[in-house]
Amino acid sequence: MMEIDFFLWRSLFKAKSLAGRLHQLLWLYNGMVVVLFSGFYYVTQHKIIEAMTAHSFLQALPVLPLPADEVVALSWLSFGVLFVCGRIYHRQDITQSGRYLALLAETIACLVVMRTLSLSYDGLVLLVVADLMHRYDGKNTGGLLVGAMLLLFFLADYNMLGFLGGVEPFDAYAAYYNSSVRGVLSALKSGLSSVNVVLFALYLVMLIQNKHQEKERIQSLNEQLESANEKLRLYAAEAERTAETRERNRLAREIHDTLGHTLTGLAAGMDACMVLVDVAPQKAKEQMEKLRDVAKHGLKDVRRSVKKLRPDDLERLPLREALTHMVKEYADTTSMEVKLSIEGWPEAMRQDVEEVIYRIVQEGLTNANRHGHATKASVTFQMEEGRLTIAIVDNGQGCKEAVPGFGLRHMQERLDLLHGSLSCQSDKGFKLEAVIPVGQGAKEERHD
Amino acid sequence: MMGMKRKLSFGGHLLVIILLAAFGLWSWQAAHARTHLRVGTFVGSAWDVPSSDGYAVMDTAIKSFEEEHPDVDVTYVSGIKPEDYEEWLAEQILAGTEPDVFLMPDDDFEAYASMGAIRNLSDTIARDKGFDEEGFYPAVLEYGRKDGSLYALPVECAPTLMFVNKTLLEREGIEMPSDDWTWQDFYDICARVTKDTNGDGDLDQFGMYDYDWQLAVTTNGGGLFDPSRRACFFASPNIEQCVQFVMRLKKLQQGHEVTSREVDLGKVAFRPFTFAEYKTYKPYPWRIKKFSDSEWDCVRLPAGPSGKNVSPVSTLLIAMSERTAEPGLAWQLMKKISMDPEVQQAVLEKSQGLPVRREVVLSAAKAQWGWGSVGSESVDLEAISRVMDEAIGHPKFRDHRAAIIMAENAIQEIYAGKRPLSMGLHKLQKEVNAYLQR
Repeated sequence: MMEIDFFLWRSLFKAKSLAGRLHQLLWLYNGMVVVLFSGFYYVTQHKIIEAMTAHSFLQALPVLPLPADEVVALSWLSFGVLFVCGRIYHRQDITQSGRYLALLAETIACLVVMRTLSLSYDGLVLLVVADLMHRYDGKNTGGLLVGAMLLLFFLADYNMLGFLGGVEPFDAYAAYYNSSVRGVLSALKSGLSSVNVVLFALYLVMLIQNKHQEKERIQSLNEQLESANEKLRLYAAEAERTAETRERNRLAREIHDTLGHTLTGLAAGMDACMVLVDVAPQKAKEQMEKLRDVAKHGLKDVRRSVKKLRPDDLERLPLREALTHMVKEYADTTSMEVKLSIEGWPEAMRQDVEEVIYRIVQEGLTNANRHGHATKASVTFQMEEGRLTIAIVDNGQGCKEAVPGFGLRHMQERLDLLHGSLSCQSDKGFKLEAVIPVGQGAKEERHD
Repeated sequence: MMGMKRKLSFGGHLLVIILLAAFGLWSWQAAHARTHLRVGTFVGSAWDVPSSDGYAVMDTAIKSFEEEHPDVDVTYVSGIKPEDYEEWLAEQILAGTEPDVFLMPDDDFEAYASMGAIRNLSDTIARDKGFDEEGFYPAVLEYGRKDGSLYALPVECAPTLMFVNKTLLEREGIEMPSDDWTWQDFYDICARVTKDTNGDGDLDQFGMYDYDWQLAVTTNGGGLFDPSRRACFFASPNIEQCVQFVMRLKKLQQGHEVTSREVDLGKVAFRPFTFAEYKTYKPYPWRIKKFSDSEWDCVRLPAGPSGKNVSPVSTLLIAMSERTAEPGLAWQLMKKISMDPEVQQAVLEKSQGLPVRREVVLSAAKAQWGWGSVGSESVDLEAISRVMDEAIGHPKFRDHRAAIIMAENAIQEIYAGKRPLSMGLHKLQKEVNAYLQR
């Protein structure tokens, strides 16, 4: 939630870094100096008037000095404006133009304070520069920083301004006092400036150190992230293996439960038939009919099991829609850009062919993402003389030697069953091409 | 977030309402409040002469101004003496509380104008069709000018004239000098009247008192300073001639230092006097107190070989504070003081100075204006007006006074014979130039 931290005391405790605290100390110090200087002008002017030496004092001045009350009021007020602008400038939630505006206002307020104090103290320039540095993020603002700094120093130069319009000199005020007090005053004046410069330098050192630490922290965070990522990858592979094992077990169980059961029953029934066929052929016939029913029932079971093994999407949707859905989902989950273009499509396909196609696309995309670290991939289907060609091309790293891994080998095996072929090439990405014959026979078999 | 926004917009509305109310109050007050205008002035005469009614001119101006502007109050701090005025004004300026309009001490004019304490009137004058520069005597208006711009208006002035002891000249059988008399005539008369009348072996009647090299310079073509180049020309032949002339006059007195007492006793033929002094000592009672048994009259100053019968004139200026809140009214008041015939008539009647408006002086001359008291006689104001038309203002650049003091010291040494004339003036020029250009 936004919090208005215009007040120094509150922000003093809010600053966490040493540089931030020094920055605030710089503000506090400069505020004190402004109060001191305005107080000096105030007191001296009143003393001059009390001592009735106003006439000779004015004679020594090139310009009309501001009245004491106005010096105090104007310098404090504009220092307040300077401070508020500084706070606004540091807000995270303002626009870029708002920030420039705040900077401009800050610069003007800085000049007003310095002018009211007869340019006897130029430490405020460093304050504004410190503000700029605090916000400095390295982009585009470098020029601005240098520009603002040059402008301020140019305008703050006593001699330069003296040449342009003239200001009443600090010395004219100091001249009111006797020489020992004058000595103290000028020592104090330069001392105040020096302390400010020291504070500023310290602040800069701290700022640089801070930035350095920040950088190191980010670097170490990056490393941690990387190792966490690596672990996650290993976990994913492990999980996949576990899932595969579980699937295999399920498959085994399924086969055992359905086929095993049926086949066992059939074998036993057939044994009985063999005995009966000579003794009571009629009985054997009946038995055979029963066995046929069992076999049919078994076939139904097998079909049901096979159905269970099919991917969900494929179960629910026709292949084309299932592919589109899978590609979209994959693209969404991995943020890889995947383009699916179907230029040719066979009229009909067997279920097992559909499943192989589905698995190839799935595996191909998984490979492109996992091994190739690709950001884009395209899947193209083409139909040519009874042969369906699936090309999966990505823009990933590819691999120098296409060593058929687990996934590729599986693909190869599946394709072999369908008398298809698989080829891959790696050059600026990875290209996988699978060719599957989809003959007329497919139609008949599908009806089965 | 929503709650905060609502709070913010509520605060915004409140702020707008407060601002509107404040503005309304302010404008209501502004419409009903009386305007206050402050004037800086001193009591008494600007010309170092006794004065009976110190605020007469200012009071006349303020009364007339307030009648014309019923919603304006004009006030001044009373009781400030002329000698304290410079410091008082400086203190007010330093504290930022100076009056809107104030009398301007000569020596500070340059400094205040250049540091921006007093307002440059050029723009105001350019806008004001009613401001007629021609009606002022040229030298007095010029006195308020700096670098071509007017910063102050004249209030009253005092030309320097030559006082002539008519009684003494009649006794010696000498005619009153004419308006175009020269240094030579002046010297001749001085030579004739300087004598020992009672036969005790000491001179007891003299030609002149207080005639100094500065008057000689004015009547010999001037040209002592060039303020723009910050240079002086003490070593020029003109100036040398002036100093030499005063030395010749002094030589007639054979080392006797004439005193003002001797003037009052009627033992001196000539004495330069300002118009203010003339006006003060001419009528009763000052006449009786000062010049017991001599008749005095005034003529122009004698002309030098390369100059004319011109008079230096001192001018009292009035200026406007740069920081005044009412520049329009302040300008009206300044014009009232410096241009209004009624106020300028008051200058003639109630103060010791001379009006700065030609028409006022000439109409008074037409009316045979006199001092109006016992033992007085009419003044030839027409002649004085002619003097004023050719009069010359003092230089008034920043270091002028200090330069004159330096010169005065050096020339006194030359008079005393401690320094040779030509070399002394060369040295003086060098010193003053170094001072001016420091």
